[in-house]
Amino acid sequence: MDKNIKKQLNNNSPLCFDAVVIGAGHAGCESALALARTGHKTAIITLDKNGVAFLACNPSIGGTAKGHLVCEVDALGGQMGINADKTTLQLRMLNMGKGPAVHSLRAQVDKHAYHDNMLETLLNQENLTFIEDEATDIEKQDNKVCAVKTRNGLNIKTNAVVVTTGVYLNSRTIIGEEIKDSGPSGFKNAKGLTESLEKIGYTIRRFKTGTPPRLEKHSIDYKQFEVQKGDNNIQTFSFLTKKANRNTHVCYLGYTTLKTKQIILDNLARAPMYSGVIVGTGPRYCPSIETKIVRFSDKDTHQIFLEPESARSDEIYLQGMSTSMPKDIQDQMVASVNGLENAEIVRYGYAIEYDCIDPLGIFPTLESKFVKGLFTAGQINGTSGYEEAAAQGLLAGINAHLYLSGQKQLILTRDSSYLGVLVDDLTMKGTIEPYRMMTSRAEYRLLLRQDNADARLTQIGRDVGLVSDERYSAFVKKMANIEKIKQKCKMMIKPSEVLDKYLISVGETPAPNGLTIENLVKRSKVEPYSAVKSLGLLKGFKKQELISALTEIKYQGYIAMERQLIEREKKLEEKRLDADMDYTLIKGLRKEAAEKLNQIKPLTIAEAGRISGVNPADITVLLMSFNNKK
Amino acid sequence: MMKNNTNTIVAISTPLSSGAISIVRMSGANAVEIADKVFKTKSGKIPSEFQARMMMLGTFSASEFSEQAMCVVFKAPNSYTGEDVVEFQCHGGVQITKGILATLIKNGARLATPGEFTKQAFINGKMALSDAEGMMDMINAQSDAEIRAGYNLLSGNLSKCAFDAQNELVDILSELEVSFDYPEETIEYITKNNAKERLKKLHQKIEDVLKTSSAGQMIKNGVNVAIVGKPNVGKSSLLNRLLGDEKAIVTPIAGTTRDIIEGSFSINGLRFNLYDTAGIHETDDQIEKIGVDKAKNIIKSADIILFVKDTKEESDEDKKVKNLLETHKHIKLINKADKLKNYKNNGDILYVSAINGTGIESLTQKLYDMACEDKQMEGGLTIANQRHIDALTRACSSIHDAIDNIDNFTLDLITIDLNMAYSALGEITGNTTSEEIIDAIFSKFCLGK
Repeated sequence: MDKNIKKQLNNNSPLCFDAVVIGAGHAGCESALALARTGHKTAIITLDKNGVAFLACNPSIGGTAKGHLVCEVDALGGQMGINADKTTLQLRMLNMGKGPAVHSLRAQVDKHAYHDNMLETLLNQENLTFIEDEATDIEKQDNKVCAVKTRNGLNIKTNAVVVTTGVYLNSRTIIGEEIKDSGPSGFKNAKGLTESLEKIGYTIRRFKTGTPPRLEKHSIDYKQFEVQKGDNNIQTFSFLTKKANRNTHVCYLGYTTLKTKQIILDNLARAPMYSGVIVGTGPRYCPSIETKIVRFSDKDTHQIFLEPESARSDEIYLQGMSTSMPKDIQDQMVASVNGLENAEIVRYGYAIEYDCIDPLGIFPTLESKFVKGLFTAGQINGTSGYEEAAAQGLLAGINAHLYLSGQKQLILTRDSSYLGVLVDDLTMKGTIEPYRMMTSRAEYRLLLRQDNADARLTQIGRDVGLVSDERYSAFVKKMANIEKIKQKCKMMIKPSEVLDKYLISVGETPAPNGLTIENLVKRSKVEPYSAVKSLGLLKGFKKQELISALTEIKYQGYIAMERQLIEREKKLEEKRLDADMDYTLIKGLRKEAAEKLNQIKPLTIAEAGRISGVNPADITVLLMSFNNKK
Repeated sequence: MMKNNTNTIVAISTPLSSGAISIVRMSGANAVEIADKVFKTKSGKIPSEFQARMMMLGTFSASEFSEQAMCVVFKAPNSYTGEDVVEFQCHGGVQITKGILATLIKNGARLATPGEFTKQAFINGKMALSDAEGMMDMINAQSDAEIRAGYNLLSGNLSKCAFDAQNELVDILSELEVSFDYPEETIEYITKNNAKERLKKLHQKIEDVLKTSSAGQMIKNGVNVAIVGKPNVGKSSLLNRLLGDEKAIVTPIAGTTRDIIEGSFSINGLRFNLYDTAGIHETDDQIEKIGVDKAKNIIKSADIILFVKDTKEESDEDKKVKNLLETHKHIKLINKADKLKNYKNNGDILYVSAINGTGIESLTQKLYDMACEDKQMEGGLTIANQRHIDALTRACSSIHDAIDNIDNFTLDLITIDLNMAYSALGEITGNTTSEEIIDAIFSKFCLGK
């Protein structure tokens, strides 16, 4: 137990914190840091310090849409991007050929170093106290959260609580017939809190996820696999990271075989997924290998990747073979892959079931609809993924801070960020499976790029007090330089042989009268950054500044189109609705719509329009009866 | 990359076709600018030069017609919606009013969604809560009419087209999206060429439907009325009576039916085409048989059948005709009322005299009502229908943009065009969420770690 707490308890003085964060996973860490950094005396309760920021599944951060979330966390002043950059083993930019909207960073990270670094950050954070214990009860008074009780008998008085229990709530792990009352990776699970949440008013759900086996590094025949290298000279997650990325490790690509398929089909009766043992709802985008083989029976082989877990361990993550088959079957399945004939399984794959809440019970601020000052973030809200969790954790932390300081809470709109899309989807539509961020969920994708995450969010982070002077002045400088670049792009490039040669080399027609940089960049076959580099234009600017500015010039037309759509929505977004409104009292509203609105309690008319079951005619009625409070 | 994506809205604000005057209202930042392109007074003044709130007489010019009309400009914020508003008042009648609407849309306005003027007024703070509540019943009535309109034959073709087109778009989009969200899978990703081919086909399909949409046909070609009856019951004189002074505007319609159409006349601005038939009796005469077959076809494709007799008695042929009537909208007429002594109009049978004009007015009223039946609905359907055409047109042009741009731009940008098309179609089908695309991705592809 923490020395300070011991002292307080010995003095018989009640334990008091401004805020308590329950759980120290990716969501909890961001929440706790945000609260402590904005000056609130914060306690973070975790079952086991070794589980802090633990990468329980794949040893990687980012990927499609998730990379965007990490950049957004960073732009708002969060920790995930900095930590991922520090612990990167390999970095890749996905979707390079498909356009700026969908470029996505993905890092293989060292999972032990990631945990160590985050733990160190928390321990060194002023205002933050660690409590190794299990939260069992959340108490309220006058409809405001007031205390958290623990298994060891602590009664912590507090004004704000952020619950980030991840997959630990009443969790059980399943490997074939072997079912354990346990958290992920052999960690202890949490009990008791579910009942408390239910009492508060949340609807409790049961979701499921899973993980593949880990292999011993030296028992693999790598010759049978295709090497996958990282990309050099690409941006990192954090706008603060100055060093270029490292690529010290590689991944490998291989395939399952017909034999693998046969082993699984022969043993389906023993698969918990199909024998009725698993009752939780799993994600469609992260199916187990047995699900893939059953659902897509025409496919004979499936891709698998070998990913390093850490520079200091011999464990290899077998991506693509998530399974909850019995151990003896897992042995056979792994051995059926070319190159894994002699592979040794260090840890078996398993499925894990856990309790979470229906996110229709929370506002887009992530605050509870039932009790003031109570926030939830991460997997408890029905999402999956480290990045989704961290982003929500940060938002919950920011809003708990704003709540404690009596300020208006932050709602991120769909046109501001992927985080805005995520929270809006969760709280307006709910989710029936673990929710994963995808680029297809964002309608203003071209505006929500990784490269402009800071332009979209850093000012917000600054306003709430999370963006340091160092970060902020770098940001202001970058914005100014982007403006400068845009101005300079109006300049003419004189006709020259070099220019024509370049144009012809990329398949464009020459420019005998010269052209402006703007028009050069806008030509369809010209890749802006490499063009200005090849022609020696716009010297003295940083690569990130150039990429942001030139992207905006090149895609001006489409960007304008997306902005127009946003404008249309904006007016309705500004019409705020009263959270206590009873919609059944509104004349002319259809019954179904009124019920849905009463359940979800949208905060703006635009939100109401996105609820399934509320049609345009209902919105008109709502507009008509809307009392314009100014 | 010019986009026709304006926020200037337009709609017909009087019930279509019946009144003497129709009003077309346009609101938004570009309203006056658009009006300048189509309206001019005799002295050459255009709306931007008009004094606000002053009604001006002039000519409304479209590519197919020009029409005398009144125009009044309201400058923001002193207007119903709080934005610039231009109103056109013209002679009532479906074609002219529709023509004005279509012309304004062509020049950059967008068809207003139901209640959108009121919504705009409210958003701009022009309407207090109490006023707004008064409007509510009206808005509800309109959307009810729209729901009913959804089932109407007239719009059926268009909405089916929208559903099919959206399904195909979801399919294409899901294939594009899967390549963004799952770039490392062993699946066959869609190629630009493949996407382009499929989009071209889709574009063609929508265009075809737009061209031949039955809604457009009714407005362009009028309501088809077949006159059925034995010889000598006075069909010709009835025909002449109905055509009356309107004979001057008789316009033969191109196609195989040209030799049978007798003429067109209009009621309240809606055009009716009269078709005479030779009767449908059994015959062995080859030439006559061709005529009978033709008559049967006319009856099949007619919107309304006028069944003319001169007595209440029924011949064998009459009985055959009656079978046909069961599946058609029809009016039973007894002609030569001038020669009858005692008759009484009842709901089923209408007594008319082509010679002295008795009952002709009731007949035209009944024809008009019947044509507009389940299409009128206080302006609901015609608007719903035009709304469908408008949405399909926008979808069509977004798909066209995508086809144009696909070779020169990256696929993430192409999805912007396609999503615009998708959401335009969603205005008809009601499917507007990205969830459908995501569902399609997961049902089609084997994905995930």
